[in-house]
This record gives sequence, C-alpha cells and structure tokens, in this order.
Amino acid sequence: MNAVDICLFAQAGFDKAAQGLAGAGRRLANSLGTELHAIVLGPGAHALASDLSLVVDKVVTVDQGEYEPETCLSALTQLCRELSPRAVLLANDTYSQEITPRLAHRLGGSAVGDCVDVHVDGETFEVTRQVYGGKAQAVIQLKRQPAVVWIRARSFAPANPLAVAGEIKQAALDIPPDTRTRIIERKRETQGEARLEEARVIVSGGRGIGGPEPFDLELKPLADLLGAQMGASRAACDAGWVPPTWQVGQTGKKVTPDLYLAIAITGASQHMAGISEAKNIAAINTDPDAPIFKHCRFGIVEDYRKVVPLLREKLVALQK
Amino acid sequence: MNPAGPTRQIYWNISHIWVMYVLLLPTLAIAGYGIYRYLRNWRRGAPAARFDQPARRINLVLKHAVAQGRTARNGYAGVFHRFISYGFVILTIATTVVALDADFGTSIMHGNFYLYFQSFTVDLFGALVLLGVAMAGARRYLQRPKKLVHTNEATLILVAISLLCLQGFLVEGWRIAATNDPWGAWSPFGNLIAGASRPWLGVAAMESSHRWMWWFHLSLSFGVIAWLPYTKMMHVLTAPLNIYTANLETLGASLKHIDFEKTESFGVNSLNAFTWKDLLDLDACTECGRCTDVCPANAVGKELSPRDIILQLRDLMHDQSRDSQTKIIGSVPATSPNALWQCTTCAACMEACPVFIEQMPKIVDLRRYLVMEEAEFPDSMQQAIMSLEKRGHPFSGTNATRLDWAEGLGLKQISETKDAEVLLWVGCGGALVERNQKVTRATAQLLTQAGVKFAIMGREEKCSGDPARRIGNEFLFETLAKENVENLNRYEVKKVITACPHCFNTFKNEYPQYGGMFEVYHHSEYLARLVDEGKLKPLSQVNEKITFHDPCYLGRQNGVYDAPRQLMQISTAGKALEMGRSRAKSFCCGGGGGMSFVDEPATQRVNQERAREAIETGAGVLAVGCPFCMTMMEDGINARKGDRDVRVMDVAELLWEAAFEN
Amino acid sequence: MNILVCLKQILDPEIPARDFRIDPVKHEAERGAANLVTNIFCENALETALQFREHHGTGTITVLCYGAATAEDSLRKALAMKADNAALVLNDGNQNPDPLTVARVLAAAIRKLGAFDLIMVGREAGDWGAGQTGGLLAEELGLPCVSFVDRIESNGGKLRLNRQTDTGWELLETEVPVVVSVTNDEHNVPRIPKVRDVMMSYRQPLTQWGIGDLDVAADEVRAGNSYYEVAELSIPEKESRCEFVTGDTLDERVETLARRIVEVTRAL
Repeated sequence: MNAVDICLFAQAGFDKAAQGLAGAGRRLANSLGTELHAIVLGPGAHALASDLSLVVDKVVTVDQGEYEPETCLSALTQLCRELSPRAVLLANDTYSQEITPRLAHRLGGSAVGDCVDVHVDGETFEVTRQVYGGKAQAVIQLKRQPAVVWIRARSFAPANPLAVAGEIKQAALDIPPDTRTRIIERKRETQGEARLEEARVIVSGGRGIGGPEPFDLELKPLADLLGAQMGASRAACDAGWVPPTWQVGQTGKKVTPDLYLAIAITGASQHMAGISEAKNIAAINTDPDAPIFKHCRFGIVEDYRKVVPLLREKLVALQK
Repeated sequence: MNPAGPTRQIYWNISHIWVMYVLLLPTLAIAGYGIYRYLRNWRRGAPAARFDQPARRINLVLKHAVAQGRTARNGYAGVFHRFISYGFVILTIATTVVALDADFGTSIMHGNFYLYFQSFTVDLFGALVLLGVAMAGARRYLQRPKKLVHTNEATLILVAISLLCLQGFLVEGWRIAATNDPWGAWSPFGNLIAGASRPWLGVAAMESSHRWMWWFHLSLSFGVIAWLPYTKMMHVLTAPLNIYTANLETLGASLKHIDFEKTESFGVNSLNAFTWKDLLDLDACTECGRCTDVCPANAVGKELSPRDIILQLRDLMHDQSRDSQTKIIGSVPATSPNALWQCTTCAACMEACPVFIEQMPKIVDLRRYLVMEEAEFPDSMQQAIMSLEKRGHPFSGTNATRLDWAEGLGLKQISETKDAEVLLWVGCGGALVERNQKVTRATAQLLTQAGVKFAIMGREEKCSGDPARRIGNEFLFETLAKENVENLNRYEVKKVITACPHCFNTFKNEYPQYGGMFEVYHHSEYLARLVDEGKLKPLSQVNEKITFHDPCYLGRQNGVYDAPRQLMQISTAGKALEMGRSRAKSFCCGGGGGMSFVDEPATQRVNQERAREAIETGAGVLAVGCPFCMTMMEDGINARKGDRDVRVMDVAELLWEAAFEN
Repeated sequence: MNILVCLKQILDPEIPARDFRIDPVKHEAERGAANLVTNIFCENALETALQFREHHGTGTITVLCYGAATAEDSLRKALAMKADNAALVLNDGNQNPDPLTVARVLAAAIRKLGAFDLIMVGREAGDWGAGQTGGLLAEELGLPCVSFVDRIESNGGKLRLNRQTDTGWELLETEVPVVVSVTNDEHNVPRIPKVRDVMMSYRQPLTQWGIGDLDVAADEVRAGNSYYEVAELSIPEKESRCEFVTGDTLDERVETLARRIVEVTRAL
C-alpha cells in the first residue's frame, strides 16, 4: 500500500501523455521509496494495461463503460480507498481535470492541477505550476493526504522500461449506477491522424486572422504542407471562427511541438501558458512589439496575408 | 389726377379695394396657423439656454443672416441668393411704404424718395430678383449639383417668385403706359414694358389688363404669404432665429452635458428628447446640402448624410401621424445605426452650414441612446470602451505601459516634484502607440532643452475620456473626467501642454464642467512660443517640401491654425504648401468619433482620400499635430504606396529633427 | 429554475507583463495600477445563466462572491447585467484562500441563501487558475457536477448540458440540483450592461455576510490554508532573442523564413 498511483483513461492509449505520466509517477515513487501502480478505466483498458505493465509495477483495470462523470468518480473513489495510495497522479485531459478535486475531497486529501513538477520535500508534497495566466510560477505545498494531482503529462520524460513486467489485475467493484447525470451523445472530432497535443508541428491563428475563411483557405494548406495540426488562440475560438477544440492556451490545449507557428497571434501570457513547452516558436505578425516575439526563435513582421501564400510556394520549392 | 411733384396714385384703376383687406384675413390666418405649428413643434423639445449674451447674438445675425457671410462662401450661390433675398427686402419695404401712405396717412412716397427709391431702386432690385432666380434655376436644373434636393416645392417656389416679379413689372409698365406717367423713366424695367406694350395694346386694353394683372398679382402674393410657412421659404424667419440662438462656444464645445442624477433617459430616440433648439434646427434647414458635401464619410461613399438626417427628422416632426414618443433611430433611413456609426465628429457639417444648424451633436445624441440605453454599438468600439473601463485607455491588447516612452529621459512625475510649472499630458496615443511615443519623446526633449520646468502624470494618467464621449458613453466619460480632474487638482496643476488635440479640446472645453480649470496649450502653441522667446533655436532645417494637415479638434473646433504652421515653416527649407481643404475646411483624417477603432471597408476609407490630397500637393512631408491623424495618415499614405514616398511627421518631431538631431 | 452563479473578482489578467509585479513575501501579485475585474469565466457563467432565463422563462438568478469589500463592484455589475439578487461574503482573512476553504464558504452561503436548481461557477480563475471550485463545491453540497459546459438547455424538469472535451463535445442530461462549471464559447461572451442598469444596480439591496455569519469553522477559514498553501511565488526569467528575418524584398524575407521552418522541422 501507499504506492504512487497513476490514473489513466484508456481511450487515448499509451500516448505521449500516458508515457509522461508514467515517467513522473516513477520518479515520484522512487523518491518515496514506493512502488508505482496504475489504474486504467474505460473501454480498451486491457490494451493500455499491457503497455503500462512494461513501466509500472502493478496495473489495475476497471471495466467501466465509456466515461460517465459520477459513476467513474465513484469507481475511482472506491478503488483508491482500497488501494490507499500516497499520491495519485493524473494527466491533463478534461476527464482527469474534472475528477481530480472531487476525488481528493472524497479521499480526504488535497488536489492541485496543471503541475510542471511534483516532488516530496521530507514529508511535504510539493508541486510547481504556472499561475497568473502564465506570468508567474508558484510552489504549492499540499496539506492533506493523499495528494491527488494532475500534471502537464507531455512535459515529463517517460519512464524506463522494467526488467520484469508488472502484474495486471482487474478490479471487482460494486458501484451502483448514478443516474443523476447521463451522457446522451458524444462527438469526437479528429484532425487527421494526430491530435493537437501530440502534434510535432502546429500552425496556429489568432485574432489578427480576421475571420474563419483564412483558416481554411490560407492556414490549412500551409499546415498540410508541413504535416502540421491546426490550433488557435482563444480570441479566434471565442469569435466562432474555429472549433473550441483548437484552442491553445491556459484554458485550452497545452502543446509541446517542435515548431509552433503563431500567425497573427499577439502572445498574451494566457496563450503562452499553453505553449511554454514548445521547442521552437515562430511568429508572423504585423506588430514588431507583439509579446509573442519575445518567446520566438525567429519571426517576420509582416501581414500574414502577404506572407502565407508566398511561404507555401517557398516550402514547396524547398521540399523538392 | 396730377398731384404736385413726383408720385403715383395708389390703387390707380383698382376698385373694390376692400376685397384686398378681406382676403388678408384668410391669408394671415393660414400663415399664422402655419407659424403656430412650428412653435407647437418646437415646444415639444426639452429646454435649452440660448438667449444669453444678446449683443453677440445680434452680431451673428448681422454677419450671417443680414450680410449672409456663410452663404456667400459659394460665390455663385452667394450672389444669386443676395439678389433674391435683398430684392425681397427692398420690395417688402416698398410695399410697406405704400401701405403706410394708403392706410396710415403718411406721405412718404413723394419727391426724391419716390424717384430714387420707390421707382429706381425698387425696379433694379426687382430685376435682380429675376436674375437671381435665373441663376438659381440654371444651377438647379442645368448643372444639377449632387447636394441639392430636387422637389416639386423647390420648382414651384422659383416659379412663384419669377411670376411675382414679372407681374409687378407688367402692372407697373401698363400703368406707366396707360397714364402717360411723366416719371416713368425712373422705373427703367417698367418703362421697358410700357414701351413694348404701346404698339400692341390700346389704353382701354391696357387698363383692363392692368386691373386683371393687379388682382392676379395680389392673389399670388397673398397665396405665397399664406404658403410660406408650409415650405422651405420659412427659412427667412427660422434662419435668422436659428442664427440668433446658435451655440456661441467654439465647435469643440458642442456636445450637451447630461446630469445623470436628474435625467430620466439618456441620449435621444424621440423628438421630445431633443431640445427646442434642436427642433428649430430642423426647420431652419434650407436644403442647401453643403453639410453633406463636406462630410468626410459621405465623400468616400458611406451612407452618412447630415443633410438627410436633418431633413428626414424635419419631415418626421411634421408628420402628424407620429407623436413625440415615436422612435427616431432607424425609423428614417438617414438615422440608421449604420450611418450614425460612420461619423467622425469632425464638425465640418456645422462649419459649412449657412444657418448654423448643429448636425453633429444630434448624431452624438442618438449614439448616446444606442450606447447607454440599449448597449448596441459596433464590436470594435465595444472593445475600446471595455478597455477604457478596465484599463483607462482605449487600446485593448496593448502591452505598453504609460511610462515606456520616457525611458532614459530622466523626467519627473508630478507626484515626485513640487517644482513643475506645467504638466505635460501625454495622452493614451502618445504613451501606448509606438509611432506616437516618438512624438512624445520629441516634445519632452524640446521642453527640456528649452529649460521648461515640467512634469508628467505617469501611471496616474487616464484617458481624457474623449473617445468615450464621442462614441456616446457619456457616463464613462464623466467617470474618467472626474477622476482626472480630481487627480490634477490634487497636484494643483494649473497649466497643461498636450500633443493630442482631443485631450486639448476635452481639457479646455469640457473639464470646466467638472471643476477642472486649466490653462491648456497644444504642444505646437507652446513650442512656437518658446521659439518666439528664443528658448528654442533651430540650428538647421529639414530640406523638403511640406504640407500641414489641420487636425479637426485643433483647427476647426478650436481655432488654432497658425502655431503648427509656424513650427512647420521654421523647420523646413522647402516651400510650405497648403492642401485645397485646409484650416477650417480641413478634411478629416477619419480617426475621430471612435472611428480609429473601426475597420472600414477597403473602398470607403476617409484617410485614404485625405492621403490622396496630401500626396497631390507634391510635398515630401505631411506634417500632423495629432496622434489619431498620425496613425490614420500613415495608414492612408501606406495604402497608396507606389504613388510617392511621403513621410508623416508631427510638427514637434520636425522641430526636433531640424533643430537638434544633427 | 433558480440559478446561483459564483463570481470571483481578480486583478486584471491583461495588464502588460512589464507592469506585473509580485510580492514575494505575501505570495501574491501586487495591485499596482491594475484594475480589479470579474473573472471572465465567471462572466461567461453569468451570461449563460442570463441566456438560459431568456429562453426558458422563469426563476431568479442570484450572484454570490467570497472576497474583499471591492468585490461589491463585481456583484453590482452582475446586477446591472440583470441578475436579481446579490450576496457578498466578506473575506477578512487570507486573501488567497485555498480551494477547499472557498468551496466550504460558498457552500455554507448557498445553504443560507436558499434552494437552487443550478449552481454555476467559471471553470477556473484567471489569477490562480486552480479550477477546483466547481468540483469541491459539488462535493460539499453532495451534488453531481459537470465541468467545461458551454451550453445549457431545459428539458422538462431536467437540464441538457453541452460540455467541451479534448476531442469534441458531450451532451449530458442531468437532474437538478447540479453544479456546473462553465467555459468560454462564442455564444456566452458577457453582455455589456446598459448605463441605466449600471446606475440602478447601485441602488439595489445586496446581502452582506461576514465569515462569522456562516456555519463554518471561522478560524480555519480565515487561515485558508488547511488544504494547500503557496510556499513560493516568483516571476521566471525568460529571455530569448528572436531572429527577425531580413531581406531587401518580401520575397527574400519569406525565403529565409521558409528555410528556418524547414531546418527546425526537418531536424526531426
């Protein structure tokens, strides 16, 4: 008991987030001198469990149908009460974010989210996270046990594979279904093969784009040329030009690409908070004083309408 | 009858003269009712204090109603209008003289007076009226300028006037011929008619024609008198009245104050929310169209037309089927919200109006309703307003701070020093817009060089409130104004220099309402004075031709034209050029009234039209004196890149460049 | 359907980075010249509530805030947007209480204010961004919770909620009462209040309570750190030199840009 538990929802598989989560969990478990266990929920749990067993000491699967907020929470609570972990780590997907504080409450622990570092200092569980819309950084100490924490999973290095794979068990839970809320319909949009958070190259547009059409007519062809995913700032999403799933930022996707191309995006700190882990940021903007340039590796001060079509031509020529 | 000395028999050949007196009754009744309707309409409006300072008001009436100063700005129109109006004045005097002699026992129409005035002068002016009508008709029907409204009424009026004069000459001519008037030659045109008629008509025929024509002329005259208050001819009464009750302040002080404690509703969306003076404005309009002609928005093809707003509101007011509560905005095409949001508040319309109608404040009144009562206004302006509320400046999204521009200049903030004699008020544009920061720096450096003891507000500066006021959010404006006045008074500021004409106007004309009494200078005024006093000595000159774009809020609205030109002239070696539309007639850059925050359609950009005019002067430098003009004109010139390279520079920058940089 | 919306008043999150300063001892941002504003997600929640009432007719909207005395302005603005009732619980203790403290205070106030069918919060606050208030509040009240909601419709006596997920959305049906956290959407941009309503809002009654007026452990609440505590707060140094591509013509500059992009992406 008193292991570090990582909790995952199976639908995304053993993606970069799962790997990072396992890595973070392993390092934390090592510092506590305990084991790393994993809890997997949702359809496809067994497939994910197999992958996880290569890096964690024990995997417990919960054969739950698709995610339902109350039922999943009850399942997880019951399981955690049995397992009695020292800490529970989760990734930064929406289900994890919403379940974390509630789980902490039911277990009598403390929760915190969006962490870029987790460690134990003696007896105290400490996390580091950005605050004030990305303008400042805070170290937060949790006062109650267990610590239930969701992290920016893709920013953490993966775990080393074990010599011997961990065991996989299936949990037997008795959860009365909670019918107060039920899911009627789900829509999962896909952007080609990769998801935005997994993308290695992202082409992103902001308020300066001016409307929905240029996203389709100018930016999408550019993204296709680069094999990139499309993103957007909050302003563009709020204006209804692109779906909300494209939003990158403090309250959107946190992305970790090799190149983030910000087009007509000012670079307010809330947006930067979503791309702080990007390896390279480049920008096209008419304002040389736009804050985005302070975070860029390179950029051009020009109207994107003049740059993007020309850029596509140049890229085609270079890619030959 | 042959009375002694020059005169003529009144009512010669006319009998049953009592009919005339009887006909007078319905004439006056109809006319009187017509006038009464006006008064009744105007009384629907809210109060306004426009009867103070009678001496100044009478002076205005003499200059513009009597001498018709503004009307005469269009030379051709000025001439024919004076012919017609003065002609009628003379004819009216002549008729009055007849009435006095006929009914009041006087003997004015005798001797030299009869010859020189009653005969010769009257004839001359009668002919001038005809000439004036011919000139007017040529313009209306042959040249057909866009600004004129073509109505049947207008045609009928011209016809009626011509007819009246022709009738007069015929009656006179036939009397002269039939009576063998010995003084006939003193009425040259009547005499001509007499001469031309003699071969064709015998005395009996002339007598009966004369009688017939006399009654025809009487009927038509009385008809016109009765009809007058129902047509735009009413301007002969309403125009002088409107001029008398005009706003005596500079154009920059045209907007009305709202007492938020006492007012039931904000802004205007019904006739009774206008003041009686606003309603009088509607009736004073002569349909000349000059306001729309000079409107910058209209000039680039936008919907806005000040003339149409006035005329359509006038028609709304006269429409008996609509009561005082009828909603105005959007109920007539000219007051559609789209049009209202195109106004830059430049006041060119007011400057052009021969009868001193206040078009622009009405637009702001309607905007006030839309903003404060309905919260319905363009998104881009909403951004500016929200930024003003949250951050005290209209530039949402900027990351500059109020003191960035001052880095390295070693300036004192007013909170840190008691020494300052004058406050340099930077303004939001001057602090937060990169291009304008250079102007602020140049100004500060010039003042430092001249040894002026000045300070700046720094972070405590909040927007003067001008954009909020022009967009129509008077409440926000008042909040900002009170805060600024309180701050300035706390620091005991007495003199203020600013490079922004909008701040200049607000401080000078609008802050006194809130207890802010400051001596305010535009930076060009203060710098010009420093040059005069020898405290600033230009060492060299910029070697280029230059032209100056008068900012609306400095020039037309506050009468400051010469100081910036003075700076411009000492800074440049090349000849100073004037654009066609300069000084009071300057063509707006398009940035005022909240318009600098709006994305205009590409083909309807006021600034590009002005840029074209600037480029056409052949100047290499376009000098400006306002942060809005700077932004708008740089954009405008850039958009026309390829025409020629023109630098846009503030007058302070030019002085700095010429004087000190090299 | 009676709705309660929780609001938080925070320091303007959009002040320029250069003006942003922190107090390293108190572990909070300095007020400086910045304004206090209502957290945007709380306004999104309020806007959603107002639109819900416009479409579905009846019920009152109450706004509640746990904060300093200045928070009254946020509540007044909400009243100006046509919320019906407002309540302020005055925080005279730790001005940055942990999320559980906040949830406990709000829960106690809500119980005291009456029965509500729909309790709404913003998904997170623009200052500390904990994002826990909704979930913890639901637990304190023993209610179900749905997060990241952007649209709410009525369906008989139940609610239909649309909520955003990483890859799309989900439509849920819930019974009432329920706690909902709201996220931004093109449809819930907060309305601008009419000036008349702003003026009127200052004349409306506003319920004001102290911590002692509620059924909570007052000392613990004032300390506000039994759940977690901020140990350090700093502004990270981040300077990077941006290469602004050069060239005499646009063509040359974009050529350089394209090369840089290929360098960085092909290096994979």
